[in-house]
Amino acid sequence: MNRLNQLPTLRITPSEKLSLNYRGKTVQGVAGDTVATALFANGVRVFARSLKYHRPRGLYSLDGECSNTCMDVNGVPNVRTENTLLKDGMVVREQNVKGSADRDWLAFIDKLDWMMPAGFYYKTMHKPAAIWPVAMKQIRKAAGIGVISADYQMKGQYDEMFIKAEVTVIGGGAAGMTAALAAAESGQRVVLLESRPHLGGCFDYRVSTTAEGTPLYERARDLAEKVKLTGNIRVFKHTSMVGAYNNNLITAFQVGKASDTFTERYIEIRSDSVVVATGCIERPLIFDHNERPGVMQVGCAHRMARTYGLLPGSEAVFSVGHDLGLEAAVDLFDLGLKINCVADIREDGQNPELMLALAERKIPVLKGWVAAKAHGCKKVEKVTLSTVEGTVKRQFPCDLLVASAGLTPVTGPFILAQAKMGYDSHTGYFLPTELPEKMFPAGRITGVNHPGAIEASGRLAGLKAAAAAGADVGKTVAEAEKAASVLPGPERGCKLVTAPVKGRKSFICFDEDTTIKNIKQAIEMGFDVPELIKRFTSAGTGPGQGGIPGHNLPLFVAKYTASISTPVPTTVRPPLVPTFLATYAGYNHHMFKHTPLHDSQIADGGIFRNIGVWQRARYFSADFDCREEILNVRNNVGMLDGSTLGKFRIHGPDALKALQRVYVSDMSKVKEGRIKYSAMCNDDGCVIDDGVVVKLGENDYYFTTSTGRAGQTVEWIRYHTRFDGWDFSLVNLTDAMGVINISGPNARKVLSKVVDIDLSSEAFPFSGYREFLIKDAVFVRAMRLGFVGELSYELHVPSSYTQAVWDLLKEAGAEFGIRNFGVEAQNVLRMEKCHVILGSESEQRTNLLDLGLGFLWDRKKADAKTVGAVALRQAEKDAGRLKLVGIRMEDDDRPARDGALIVDNNVRGYVATMRKSFTTGQAVGMALVESQLADIGTRIEIFEDECNGVRLYARVVATPFYDPKGERMKS
Amino acid sequence: MALTLTCPVCGKRNGYEFRYGGEDKGPRPVEAGLTPAAWCDYVHMNKCTAGVQKEWWCHRDGCGSWFTTWRDTTQNLEVAKPEASK
Amino acid sequence: MTEIKRESPVQFKVSPLKVEARDNWTVALEYDEEGQGPWLVDLAHKTRWDLQDRKVGELTPCDLAVPEAPGECTFADNTLINRMNRTQASIFHLGAEAPGLPDFSGYTDVTESTVFLALFGPKAFFIAEKLTALDFLDPAKKAPFLYQGPFCHVPCQIVTLEKAADGSGGFLLTCSRGYGDSMVHAILEAGSALGLRPAGENRFNTWIQGLQG
Repeated sequence: MNRLNQLPTLRITPSEKLSLNYRGKTVQGVAGDTVATALFANGVRVFARSLKYHRPRGLYSLDGECSNTCMDVNGVPNVRTENTLLKDGMVVREQNVKGSADRDWLAFIDKLDWMMPAGFYYKTMHKPAAIWPVAMKQIRKAAGIGVISADYQMKGQYDEMFIKAEVTVIGGGAAGMTAALAAAESGQRVVLLESRPHLGGCFDYRVSTTAEGTPLYERARDLAEKVKLTGNIRVFKHTSMVGAYNNNLITAFQVGKASDTFTERYIEIRSDSVVVATGCIERPLIFDHNERPGVMQVGCAHRMARTYGLLPGSEAVFSVGHDLGLEAAVDLFDLGLKINCVADIREDGQNPELMLALAERKIPVLKGWVAAKAHGCKKVEKVTLSTVEGTVKRQFPCDLLVASAGLTPVTGPFILAQAKMGYDSHTGYFLPTELPEKMFPAGRITGVNHPGAIEASGRLAGLKAAAAAGADVGKTVAEAEKAASVLPGPERGCKLVTAPVKGRKSFICFDEDTTIKNIKQAIEMGFDVPELIKRFTSAGTGPGQGGIPGHNLPLFVAKYTASISTPVPTTVRPPLVPTFLATYAGYNHHMFKHTPLHDSQIADGGIFRNIGVWQRARYFSADFDCREEILNVRNNVGMLDGSTLGKFRIHGPDALKALQRVYVSDMSKVKEGRIKYSAMCNDDGCVIDDGVVVKLGENDYYFTTSTGRAGQTVEWIRYHTRFDGWDFSLVNLTDAMGVINISGPNARKVLSKVVDIDLSSEAFPFSGYREFLIKDAVFVRAMRLGFVGELSYELHVPSSYTQAVWDLLKEAGAEFGIRNFGVEAQNVLRMEKCHVILGSESEQRTNLLDLGLGFLWDRKKADAKTVGAVALRQAEKDAGRLKLVGIRMEDDDRPARDGALIVDNNVRGYVATMRKSFTTGQAVGMALVESQLADIGTRIEIFEDECNGVRLYARVVATPFYDPKGERMKS
Repeated sequence: MALTLTCPVCGKRNGYEFRYGGEDKGPRPVEAGLTPAAWCDYVHMNKCTAGVQKEWWCHRDGCGSWFTTWRDTTQNLEVAKPEASK
Repeated sequence: MTEIKRESPVQFKVSPLKVEARDNWTVALEYDEEGQGPWLVDLAHKTRWDLQDRKVGELTPCDLAVPEAPGECTFADNTLINRMNRTQASIFHLGAEAPGLPDFSGYTDVTESTVFLALFGPKAFFIAEKLTALDFLDPAKKAPFLYQGPFCHVPCQIVTLEKAADGSGGFLLTCSRGYGDSMVHAILEAGSALGLRPAGENRFNTWIQGLQG
């Protein structure tokens, strides 16, 4: 197809050829083409088949307001090819067709529309029930749009950015550019978003002139140049706004050019004020077969020629309701299009200059006429025009029917920003009755169409937005207001939506194949609110997001129900245009914490798991029962990376008071050189944390928390002291120190090779705390704890030195066969000792007493107002609580799974942790059970998932299972 | 996502930097003579005002302060302190 | 025999061209092909202190005043003091050596607690805006200033030392040490399209010497 290659309005570079693969064949497009225009240039007229009826569909709006040109591009289905820029080598396929879009075997379904009245699937598919699964399969095969496989991997780079600006302008047409320039005058930061790949909006392709005689396309390019030269305006082209939220948060996404490093980019803009200059789309004219290939909107036909150099047909009929249609007819005639007739819905009110131009070109004009039916199967061959009353009809041959009822403002941003919308009977638009805070409309969205008025309204809105963002521009605003007031205001809009037709094949929504007849059926069934009719008929729920039926549906419903109240629009929700999930995901950075020993743990064969914010080595062999790791600790010596432990310093005059508030024990009894184990509860007395406290000096303490609580500890202590005005300081040292736990009967021998202090049980006893230097350089805090039930030292080492100290110990331990153990081995070791892990042996409702940790609670420190004490005092009298007990399976080879239920006829508790204990040879664990089951010797019944009715049995036994006197850990 | 809150230390920030700390119910009741029901009410019962209420928030991702502010729950917008409570 | 060496939470994939041993750290002075900027420099070895006291505003660490309002910073003699809130300030020693921790209980050495990075050069803030919504280019803010807020979803202290409307300038960032690997990966990924490269301490020194005049 020959292009009009010399037009000054072109946005393509005809000399730069790009190729694409379409249905296995290579075809040529040029730089600047969209996929759809390139295909059109190669003679493609039928781009897709419709969702239900498999009707042929072609170019209609060029802005992606319907699914007509949705295709599969590079393996991604449902790509709106009419606003996807062509890149070299794209592979494009049709979707939802058997055969091809041009020859689709399923096209016969179009004849079966009588079987599918509105809501048929709700009403027919439930009886008899057996049909449903079968029918569903068949329907899904025939209906739908693109297909994606479940394991499809999205390709490309997805960028994201979070911008702050004073003013955001949505829409880069004349009004948007003027608004941006005006707002930028005061030096504020302005962001300008334009959904097309170039600025210019409705000026971009028009040769009619401004009052000064400049062609509009030139004016648009002048403005774009000014915008480009203004340093404080950031322009994002090919960027669709998708969401507007509270406090003027705007979200959008940008499509990358071939030269960009990103495929798409998610953009979030927080600005003080927003200008909405989104302009208008066209209001689809509804008549029989109004979506046949060859029927297109005015802007589509006009831009095909002016922007892409492609004459959209050879012989045309126009059926329009606004001056833009007449302007396009004149211009397209001059570009070589034969025009058989222009039908204008309006009886009068046309721009006389345009009428004169049409007369000069001898184009017949019928006023008060409208298209009633498009004839032809896969493309328009002729059209029946009718008077708007339907009294007289005439036919005209054509291969292009330019049809448009009028204009519809793109008010999505206002609706998203929770504006109340109302019908304006002058323009025929749904407009905000009250503007959201600091949000200003500009340009055609306000109803103006005069080029000067568009710019004036843009300037005014830009200045108002700047003022709302704090700029001192009061005087300039007044001047701009005056300038705008002398220009033509909002134009009276054409109100006709449907030609005089019955509507069986008149489509109100193209995406969902919803006809006027379907809407009538829904109304006759009793639906009267557009919002509900939308859902019942699915009109406006497709990829076009209501772009086609947006205004027509409520207007038609109002008319058809003879409603005396003003029409109510349906609402829209983000995203306003279809957006890839990959775009929302963006970089999807995985932010996990690593311990100082991370790399060496990997080198030692650690198998990692994400545990809260950390990645930790859970196992050190493929044996997930960890037999070797466990036995090595029991019989020899092992090392664990415990760096994830929460670690804090608290100091200041009221430090002790703060500790008394959050810990259940009496913290005034913490002695220097000793560690104190205690727990924290919440206001319900439920245990949330346990750890040890060490006194470093007067009102200066060092304490540890469990890994999971570390992130919330400071917040927790500050919250529970927020009314007290106490003077204490907290420092989170969790990441400042790595923790090496060295445990086992040989631990002392290993450690003594590395440190100089006396490690004998007398000099450094169980529960002791010591500080010392290793190699005169590394300051270490050491604690003797017994979590795993063996002689055990916990060394807190500055993070940067942790690896060095670990390596020293490993070297020293080599002769004993020292080896790593991981989190799972530790879990079994401590379970054998019945030491609890909060979150394993407790859940949200488990209190301190339930766990048997009541001995930690000091009832006498009433002044401290200990968090949880009130509830614990009350819970002491409550007999109906769960108790933590030790249990042993009757079959030692069959431990129950963690979380298995303890039952009789009701649920009586659950298994917290249970393992086969290699040390004792028994299957033992801990369970939370109702108190009447807590006595030693009680037989309990266990239910597991997928147990097929077979129950497991266990008995309550004495705890701990290993070294009950604690001789080993205190040795 | 769109909520902004004004931290007394760091100024106006995105809402997702903050942790919600519940409605402001004042300091804890005196423990002497406290009934279980009264304690439970203090801990768990909320007014759930449809409108402007005083709330605790923690600037978790920022300076870590706990502070109170006023929020219109029907719009999810931070608002100025209402006249009556000044 | 294992050598007593300190390790940074941050490891770049490229090896440095020039290094220097300092207080058991191996400090990277220069990398091959550092490029034209922006640059990312690991400063883990620089001493950082936490200072908390009810009267923090009256204290004079290193003979410098603690700034009055939260968010304000004092930057002189290679020392940076950042007022965090009513009772707290952080102190970064950016020179080759740091003084010993003063004998006052309000101080805690937190050098080991955090990742410490400098990101500076042309377009530095265009990298930042891919990772955080914090408004570094706010015209109302004068460098140096402190932000406490999320950077790539991780709570950070970020001190902007220099900024210009064209996105150039730079900042120092600290966050929990454990995030070192994730944070550097995220920053380098976000910065790759803008030419971000790891750089050595020399380049950082040149930058801050220029700032201090």
